[in-house]
Amino acid sequence: MPSSPSSAGPALSVVKESAESSETRDPARRGDRTLDWSICMARAQEGDREAYRRLLEEITPYLRSLAARLIRDRSDVEDAVQDALLSVHAVRHTYDPMRPFGPWLVAIARRRFVDGLRRRGRAAARETPLEAEHETFAAPETNFQEAASDGRAVREALAGLPPGQREAIRMLKLEEMSLKEAAAASGMSVAALKVATYRGLKNLRKIFGKQGTQT
Amino acid sequence: MITTPDLIESLVARAEPVRRLRPPLARAAAWLLFAGLMLVLMVAIKGLRPDLELSLRQPGFAIDVGAALATGILAAVAAFVVSLPDRSRLWLWLPVPALLVWIVNIGHSCLTAWVDLQPGMHLGDETGCVAALVMTGAPLALTLLIMLRHTALFDPTPVAVAGGLAVAGITASLLPLFHNHDASVLILVWNLGIAALLTAAAGAFGRRMFTWVAPR
Repeated sequence: MPSSPSSAGPALSVVKESAESSETRDPARRGDRTLDWSICMARAQEGDREAYRRLLEEITPYLRSLAARLIRDRSDVEDAVQDALLSVHAVRHTYDPMRPFGPWLVAIARRRFVDGLRRRGRAAARETPLEAEHETFAAPETNFQEAASDGRAVREALAGLPPGQREAIRMLKLEEMSLKEAAAASGMSVAALKVATYRGLKNLRKIFGKQGTQT
Repeated sequence: MITTPDLIESLVARAEPVRRLRPPLARAAAWLLFAGLMLVLMVAIKGLRPDLELSLRQPGFAIDVGAALATGILAAVAAFVVSLPDRSRLWLWLPVPALLVWIVNIGHSCLTAWVDLQPGMHLGDETGCVAALVMTGAPLALTLLIMLRHTALFDPTPVAVAGGLAVAGITASLLPLFHNHDASVLILVWNLGIAALLTAAAGAFGRRMFTWVAPR
């Protein structure tokens, strides 16, 4: 993992400190900034892109410091900030310029951060990271047995398809050619290739569906 | 993953002018106006019940209609206010007094008219009532859902509960006006039951419903 807590620690504290010095320790300046943001948002609502860019660029470090207080993993912090920016964008029409901007922003951001934490918590409860001790041998190939047997099953199933469908699947799905390339290589039309692929996949699904119910 | 400066650029590129929401009270009023139109429409279709004046003279019935209407109106106001991210959640308490009056009144009617409650009373008649309830409630609920869709991104559940209560209160107060039933306690209880069910359902599924119509 690139971002272990130990590597994230110092960086986080830097973010937090700078944020605190500019945002919370200096209420007068904070007031000015949010007034500024309020004006920017009002203009952004009218379609002023420059004001909107300035606003988003200025609130990003603020959101980051807010997120850093709630979320420990640094890569998640950036995700959360982006999520909050997207939400701000989606509901920017709910901002009333007669009211202060700060509480509006913080309410949205907090909700997104908490939702994100919950979502990650749920994912963490279901998923187990694949780590070194799950590997049988150090060499990577030894851990691909499942993939190898899956590959064999797919090849066998493919062999059972009609030739047109087999070729279409081989070119488009296994060799990942584009439709144009496959059409040139096989002499089939694009439409015919699409139909053949669709039918082929449907047949494959049927074959594997049957196997699934048997086992 | 897209970097944050890139994301900002893409958002700026999509920054078309937007229409600000009107103040929540004005929006609540607009929705209530729509509810009023629904009432007019329903009355035009089904006609007011002939004995309305007589029924309204019974204090239990009149208080029931009044309290349900007040609950609906106040809950609608609460839903519209709380749907904005920077407003206090305390607004959710707004419909509670009217709701309490509604519940207490029904409890009182139940106690005083206990003898009127016969077991297995004409439940067959209720199907028409259900149809009318759905016909009034569904458009109201759908309109409210769309008008409040921006709330999906922050805190949909309290808004959904308030919204559910608003729809329930309004329908519960409209129905007895034209639905041809005696003002029996059963109807009053039944109305409140539906209201409770609707509000609970809104609480349980509100998040999903709002996500469904959410702005992107």
